[in-house]
Amino acid sequence: MIEFAVHTRDDGVGVVTPEGRLNMVSARRLKEILSELVSAGTTRIVVDMGETSFLDSSGLGALIGGLKSARQAGGDLRIARVSPAVMTVFELTNLDRVLRARESVDGAFDD
Amino acid sequence: MTPPSGPTRDPVVEERRQRAVESLQLSEGQKDERFERITRLARTVFGVPMTTITILDNDRAWFPSAQGVDVSEMPRVETFCDRTTDEGRLLMVEDASQDERFRHLPLVEHGHVRFYAGHPLRDAIGNVVGTFCIYDSEPRTLDGDLLVAFRDMAAWAEQELVSSAEMSQAGHVQASMLPARAVRTGGWEINGLCLPALAVGGDFYDYGVTNGVVHLGLGDVMGKGTGAALVGAGVRAAIRSTNAAVTAGVDLGITATQVARSLLPDLERTESFVTLFEAAIDLDDGFTRYVDAGAGLCLLVHGDGSEQRLDSVDRPFGILPDDHWSEHQVTLEPGSRMLVFSDGLLDLIDDPIEWWHEVGALMRRADDVGTLLELVARLARDRTALDDVTAVAVFRAPVAGDAR
Repeated sequence: MIEFAVHTRDDGVGVVTPEGRLNMVSARRLKEILSELVSAGTTRIVVDMGETSFLDSSGLGALIGGLKSARQAGGDLRIARVSPAVMTVFELTNLDRVLRARESVDGAFDD
Repeated sequence: MTPPSGPTRDPVVEERRQRAVESLQLSEGQKDERFERITRLARTVFGVPMTTITILDNDRAWFPSAQGVDVSEMPRVETFCDRTTDEGRLLMVEDASQDERFRHLPLVEHGHVRFYAGHPLRDAIGNVVGTFCIYDSEPRTLDGDLLVAFRDMAAWAEQELVSSAEMSQAGHVQASMLPARAVRTGGWEINGLCLPALAVGGDFYDYGVTNGVVHLGLGDVMGKGTGAALVGAGVRAAIRSTNAAVTAGVDLGITATQVARSLLPDLERTESFVTLFEAAIDLDDGFTRYVDAGAGLCLLVHGDGSEQRLDSVDRPFGILPDDHWSEHQVTLEPGSRMLVFSDGLLDLIDDPIEWWHEVGALMRRADDVGTLLELVARLARDRTALDDVTAVAVFRAPVAGDAR
């Protein structure tokens, strides 16, 4: 079972770190975590993909869903530390320009 | 409802029951692990030598799963389950040798069975389609927690029996919605393949020829299983409704954008999205228009051996409300081969990042469309596909009409 580390930084940015494979089963959990964060007022979220080894369309759906609700609440969702293999999933679907990957978690909200 | 007792059986009820059994479409002589684990576990939980899931089929009884029983079927009148089915409720016989109703059964006379407990298994509308049974060669009883466990396991067996039937029928329906046959005309050959990871899946493909133009599409709905299949059926229908316009020459970017707009409310409500590749190929000259909605998985191997990926910068359907899609153009000259596929195939190849090397090699290796699809199917089989695998191949002979 995939683990999710969740914490909120001093600057109010929520950081979610999925560890392992983001597939149909774990995507459901990620979606819950993201919507809980947004409804609790944490509308700026970084998903740290540094520990994510696999991402399928359901995982992608959870990220897009989180992005939509964060933006609706006036915030944003950003992804950071994406591995080359997982990056191809974003590139093939042309979602790399909707969810632009950032180098680091710390600097994900610098621009 | 008063159950009939003894030999009086309502023929109407029995006829309906028999039809319900047949509609399960169970395959005899094939061990299904979903049933096996129930009968195996029951033997351990209840400490009995024999357990069965029994189907009464006309005048015989057969076992989709049985433990400790060395026959595959027996005459219906020689079973306890016959009675359980007629009474339609849990039947427990503590010592059959002392029970007027059962002491004459060969199983009892030969000393194989003294104790029997059976529970009817019903389909969604209440027909008794099977029974879940445990047997012991010694007299005993079942009470307290064990009786609760027995009812629970019967409910589990019922679920597996009925839901598996429903899913396999859904799978048949979905498969029958795919094009029935390959296109073979004037040096062109087009065929597809769809292997869902579960009984039904979120991938689909479609093609058809109108006025010398082939309109083909391959879509992949987020996720897999029944939910994805329901969304997929709607997307396929929406794309089909543009067939006439597309083959008449309307810009594919315009029709795709229309389809995406019409699907958007459904996709947003179901929190789903769809990747799609769609093409219109003129069979006269190979002039091809295509649109790619975040699929990115189409490879064209030209007649001269060069490779070209048919992709775009357009996003899947269901992501952003104001997205639009653009038509691109390419020519499939004689000798070209095209393969469109879903990302389930990416999981099966060695290098999913630069996938076109391996996919291109597969395309060159195959003599015809059928062989190429067989190579894809073998990959899915040998490497145990976890996602739906779908592919559509288009081959144009080197010189029109020339058999290679």
